[in-house]
Amino acid sequence: MNKLFTIALMLGLTGCSLFASKVEAGTNINGTVESRCTVNTDTSGYYGNPNAYTLTTLPASAGQVPVIRIDTSLANAYKAQISYPTSFSSSPSLGDTVVWTGTVAVDQTSSSDMSGYQAASTTADGGAMRIYPLSIAGATWFSVASVATYGGGQQKAFPGGSYTAVVIAECVAQ
Amino acid sequence: MTTPILGISTEEGMDISGVIYNYTAVKDQADDFTVTVQNENVDGGYVYQDTEDWSGKYGMKIQKVIPIAYTPIEQFGKGSIATTGTGSIENASVLYMYRWDGCRNPQNNENCPGYVPPMPVIPVIEIYDALEDENVQDATEKKDGLGTNKDEDTRETEEEDEEKERLEIAMAATENALTIANTASQATLLHRINNATNVSSYYVAQIEGGTYRESMALQDSEIVDNKRALRSLGQDNLMNEMIEEQYK
Repeated sequence: MNKLFTIALMLGLTGCSLFASKVEAGTNINGTVESRCTVNTDTSGYYGNPNAYTLTTLPASAGQVPVIRIDTSLANAYKAQISYPTSFSSSPSLGDTVVWTGTVAVDQTSSSDMSGYQAASTTADGGAMRIYPLSIAGATWFSVASVATYGGGQQKAFPGGSYTAVVIAECVAQ
Repeated sequence: MTTPILGISTEEGMDISGVIYNYTAVKDQADDFTVTVQNENVDGGYVYQDTEDWSGKYGMKIQKVIPIAYTPIEQFGKGSIATTGTGSIENASVLYMYRWDGCRNPQNNENCPGYVPPMPVIPVIEIYDALEDENVQDATEKKDGLGTNKDEDTRETEEEDEEKERLEIAMAATENALTIANTASQATLLHRINNATNVSSYYVAQIEGGTYRESMALQDSEIVDNKRALRSLGQDNLMNEMIEEQYK
């Protein structure tokens, strides 16, 4: 009788101990996504200086329009967001206002089916950014023209020095 | 495809792996327009054909890459850009991507597997046989007696002429030498003649006269014939007869 009681007590204690403790394990699952869209500079741009108060990428003014190439291998998966500059990333100290204008346009495509990209694009950020839904897999070249005028309409001369502006091109998943 | 069209040497071992073309389609959006870039295959048909249908689309610049399985350049025929519908293309260019297999023909490089050193071209040498030479045959041909005599006569005539010429030249030289020396020798000759006129010393010389007696005397009273000489003469006579016998 005592043995039976002792065994029952041991089983009871063991069961109590099982209910009293908790074991946990955490396992990471890693993964990477390689974008099916790439952005590259096809042609570097530079400013011409046709007069003291204007910097422009127009070839007629000794400038060069930059060209950006965006490739996507997946249709209707990405949109291209391209902005012309609205400020200098580096320049001499400027005490007056710079007026920025520019255009973003489809320069060439790898398929005639992309010929409607320009018509289908929209603008944002006050018109400086143009958004293109990339509905066709392939390559698209975008040209970005930029004009900077100093003096806030008063045609003041730019201070002498080096000026740099940045065109931002992004491939964003839809 | 020829070298002027491709811009590079179209040698055996070159494979085309792709084409990059671009052009600007100029058209109204509503117009139907297609553009086909293609390259004929020398065996018939086309190596590749790529058509863009611009119908109902905006005209613009296009740049496209056409991948092609490695195709020997020998298969490429005439290339062309064909259009249909209303529109045109501007600033078209077609670039070919290629690879070069330098050992397609092992003989292109001695380092290629299967290269066989070329055998040198052995020149054909004609062996000269003097006996077959016409000139030698003419020279060694037998001549008849008349021909030989004629040649000898001709040779003798030529030798006589040469001798005569040499003699004339020698005489001319002698004559010239005498003419030159004549003036000098005349003065010497006159001088010697003047010296010779003084011959009075010869006239005054006297030779002593007298009689010169015979001093020789023959002591033997009889002269004996020389028998040895007589015998020798007899043998000589016999010899002469023997010699003359040969000609009888």
